[in-house]
Amino acid sequence: METGLIFPSAGGIAGAALAAPLLSGVINRTKAVFAGRQGQPLLQAYHDIIKLLGKGAVYSRTTTWVFRAGPIIQFSCAALALALLPMGFQPALLAFPGDFICLAGLLALMRFFLMTAALDTGSSFEGMGASREAAFSALAEPVFLLSLAVLARLTGALSLSGMASRLALHPAEGSGPVLVLTTLALFVVLLAENARVPVDDPNTHLELTMIHEVMALDHGGPDLAFIQYAAQLKLWIMGILVVNALGLGGRGGWACAGGMAALAVLIGIVESTMARLRLLRVPQLMIGAGALSLLALLLTLVRP
Amino acid sequence: MNGLPQPGLAALVLLPLAGCGLCWVLRAPKRILAVTWLASLLSALAAAPAVWACLHGRALQEAQGWLALDALSAFHLAVMYGVFILSSAYAQIYFDGGISSGELSLAQVRQFASLWLGSLAALTLTLVSNNLGMMWVGMEATTLLTAFLIIVRRSPDALEAMWKYLLICSVGIAFAFIGTLLVAASAKGLVQDPGQLLHWSRLMAAASGLNPKLLKAGFLFVLVGYGTKAGLAPMHSWLPDAHSQAPAPVSAVFSGCMLNAGLYCILRYGALCHALPQLADWSAGLLRLLGLLSISVAAVFILFQNDGKRLLAYSSVEHLGIIALGMGLGTPGIFAALFHTLNHALGKSVGFFCMGRLGQIYGTNDLRRLAGAARREPVWGNGLLLSLLAILGAAPFAVFLSEFLVLKAAVEAHRAVVVAVFLAGTCIIFISASRRVIAAAWGEPAAPARLPGPRAGLAATLLVALPLALLLCLGVWMPGPFRGALERCAAVLNGGR
Amino acid sequence: MSAWSELILILVILTNLLLVGGNRLTGLIRFAAVQGLLAGLLPLLVHSHAITARLIFLAALAVALKGVAFPLLLGRALREADIRREVEPFVGSELSTFLGISLLAFSFWLSEWLGIAQAGWLRLMLPVGFFTMMTGLFLIISRHKALTQVLGYLVMENGIFLLGVALVGEVPFIVELGVLLDAFVAVFVMGIAIHHINREFNHMDVHLMARLKE
Repeated sequence: METGLIFPSAGGIAGAALAAPLLSGVINRTKAVFAGRQGQPLLQAYHDIIKLLGKGAVYSRTTTWVFRAGPIIQFSCAALALALLPMGFQPALLAFPGDFICLAGLLALMRFFLMTAALDTGSSFEGMGASREAAFSALAEPVFLLSLAVLARLTGALSLSGMASRLALHPAEGSGPVLVLTTLALFVVLLAENARVPVDDPNTHLELTMIHEVMALDHGGPDLAFIQYAAQLKLWIMGILVVNALGLGGRGGWACAGGMAALAVLIGIVESTMARLRLLRVPQLMIGAGALSLLALLLTLVRP
Repeated sequence: MNGLPQPGLAALVLLPLAGCGLCWVLRAPKRILAVTWLASLLSALAAAPAVWACLHGRALQEAQGWLALDALSAFHLAVMYGVFILSSAYAQIYFDGGISSGELSLAQVRQFASLWLGSLAALTLTLVSNNLGMMWVGMEATTLLTAFLIIVRRSPDALEAMWKYLLICSVGIAFAFIGTLLVAASAKGLVQDPGQLLHWSRLMAAASGLNPKLLKAGFLFVLVGYGTKAGLAPMHSWLPDAHSQAPAPVSAVFSGCMLNAGLYCILRYGALCHALPQLADWSAGLLRLLGLLSISVAAVFILFQNDGKRLLAYSSVEHLGIIALGMGLGTPGIFAALFHTLNHALGKSVGFFCMGRLGQIYGTNDLRRLAGAARREPVWGNGLLLSLLAILGAAPFAVFLSEFLVLKAAVEAHRAVVVAVFLAGTCIIFISASRRVIAAAWGEPAAPARLPGPRAGLAATLLVALPLALLLCLGVWMPGPFRGALERCAAVLNGGR
Repeated sequence: MSAWSELILILVILTNLLLVGGNRLTGLIRFAAVQGLLAGLLPLLVHSHAITARLIFLAALAVALKGVAFPLLLGRALREADIRREVEPFVGSELSTFLGISLLAFSFWLSEWLGIAQAGWLRLMLPVGFFTMMTGLFLIISRHKALTQVLGYLVMENGIFLLGVALVGEVPFIVELGVLLDAFVAVFVMGIAIHHINREFNHMDVHLMARLKE
């Protein structure tokens, strides 16, 4: 076993749980640097969560148990998904063949309860956000699974941990272009699923233009804290997948952490330089990403 | 014939181009048109010795095998020169009114003449090249040059027809190029000198070693590609528009020369397939299929066709279908198809001549408004009737004989479906077209002619009468040497020389 | 140099997908220019072990024509025509991209069926050639404007160029030259035709030019 900053499995999960909100801090700081501002402190997300946990919550009479259960289920799904992720050298806590499908399922469950909790309020804004979310994730999901399938086919491993270690240690001959295409597709899915420009602007204050923020509009206090933290965990999870696809994840703790930081900076750059797409163009973007991953799949099939 | 100096095959391509240059120097439009006629005549005379020799069994090769002439290409050359000479003479009559009234400017006439002679050069290049790649270059050149011949008179309809023609045929030629590439790939390693990879004669000699799969794929692409230029259905959609919008001499050249050139290119590749036993039946079957499809499509569209030029255009589709059908029916079928090539070219040219002139005189191409044409314009009206009857296959014109021979070949090969579809198609076309044409020629005259124009002179009478007389003659009596020449052409396609 | 060739071929595939799913005419012309540039460089990489003066000349000519001359011609036609810069397709962008991927899969299958056993990156060249050609054909069929049809023809010629390199290699130099010259003349001619059409019709929509029927 290597010395240095190695994350043993449980330690890895703890580290991820602690580091996830830092990502949004890095992204916001990058955006501030591009805009010439000072920006929020890096640890702002932590302050926000702690502040929200201390508040009380008000529940509308139109809501049912779904509204109250939603944030809890989202948080538990995200936390469970952490157990499936390989970080650093160590394989994940729960690694088994086909665990990437389980991961996709957990994320889908999380999204489902986010949408139903939003619908449960009976408000039209949340309903609009939920329907947009449903439409875009219906397109993002196949791309996500396809990209993971390409990685599985390329490495011959059926579990995320196997993929990560093989991509880092024994990359296949000439698989560069395929990996670039897959990583690009995964990155687009990451932007779509985590409410980033060009799919959704996290800083907008106009409800009609929101997708994700509007779904959490009526949550308050600890519920909102859980939802925000779950969203940050989701960003961390998908970020780890992208970093693993690049082959950095399996090389050790420092490489993994460095990759995540670089990814956060990249997301910040993308957010600062691009404008948000018209809603009608988002399906085109998703299909474009799908085309990339299909192309990658075709290339792996053609290879001897 | 042996004592006369034989100009090389390259000269045949260069002569029309020289005529082109001359056109740009002259000032009088009528003289320019006369130059086009002279250039065609001179090229034909220059080619005569070589053509004569090849039809009697010799085969010529020049320029290290890049240019060649054998019986098949000699025959097609002869037909092409004939059509060009007739059409150039007719063009002087056709454009006479436009030049006199000033409607056609000097620049337009110059453009027409140079494109005309350029097309002649390009078609000659296609027919005399031994290299399949250069043959393709010739066909591409004809597409690009003839596209602008369609829009001598700029009108929205003509532009639409030109665009359709340009795009569809360019795509077709691109497909033909892919086919050429595939055939070249199938011969990789067989021919020692890489520069001679696409020489047809070398490929025929080494035919047994060609890669069957690649050759099959190549032939398919070539069939679709050159079939577009040949006007075979379902790639024929440019044909009616281009023929109806182009000036009549151009339409005559389309039908009489260019379509045949497209089919000629297909035949060269078909001969390669024929040399491989496993592909021979397959390629013949495809030719039959496209032939029958063309005949059927033409029949359907002629049923409701009132526009005279479009009628002639669909009739071209039908006849190219018959020729393709004949080519897929074995040696007797090939003989009949080649005979049919000549007959169709002659008859269709006269048809377009008459239709074009009548269209100018009456101001419309609609056959219903042309009623009584034979009485007002004896030469053109009767010419239209006779030529159309000839094309439709009325006995004793030669077209009847060649169609009968194709039918005979089909019966001998026991192909019942072919016989049935062929008979049905030609009957439908005969009935619907002749009904209209007879009404047009002998019906009650409707409105008086809008453009009186000069009465048809001796030249016009000769232009109409001579080809029809030839058709009549060939329909009753086929001279021995002619039959021998046709048989030699058929033999070329079967691998003999 | 097989890694470079493979990279270029994948970039060509990407340009095809962008062309098929693209929305703006100026963007399409640029993608076609990039594709032409990449295609022109390929012969140099394919025969990197035997670079002759002929090969360099061919590559330079290809890059000059496909990457520079054609886009300039088309750009000029676009400016002259002063039309709306949207593509106005028959088949929408998403469906087009999906069809594009299906065409790609079909080209892979077709190359396998043809059975030319090739090693390494050449396995990719033949499918990419077919795919580019089919992309061009698709653009011609499914787009409204005459300019996009010419663009489709250009893309088709790029594909044929690639097929030429894949199928017969460097051998018939005349063949490659023929493709280039043919493409040049054809596009030039089409440009002139578009000029006439635009003058006469005031638009370039081929589906409004439907007066000749039957």
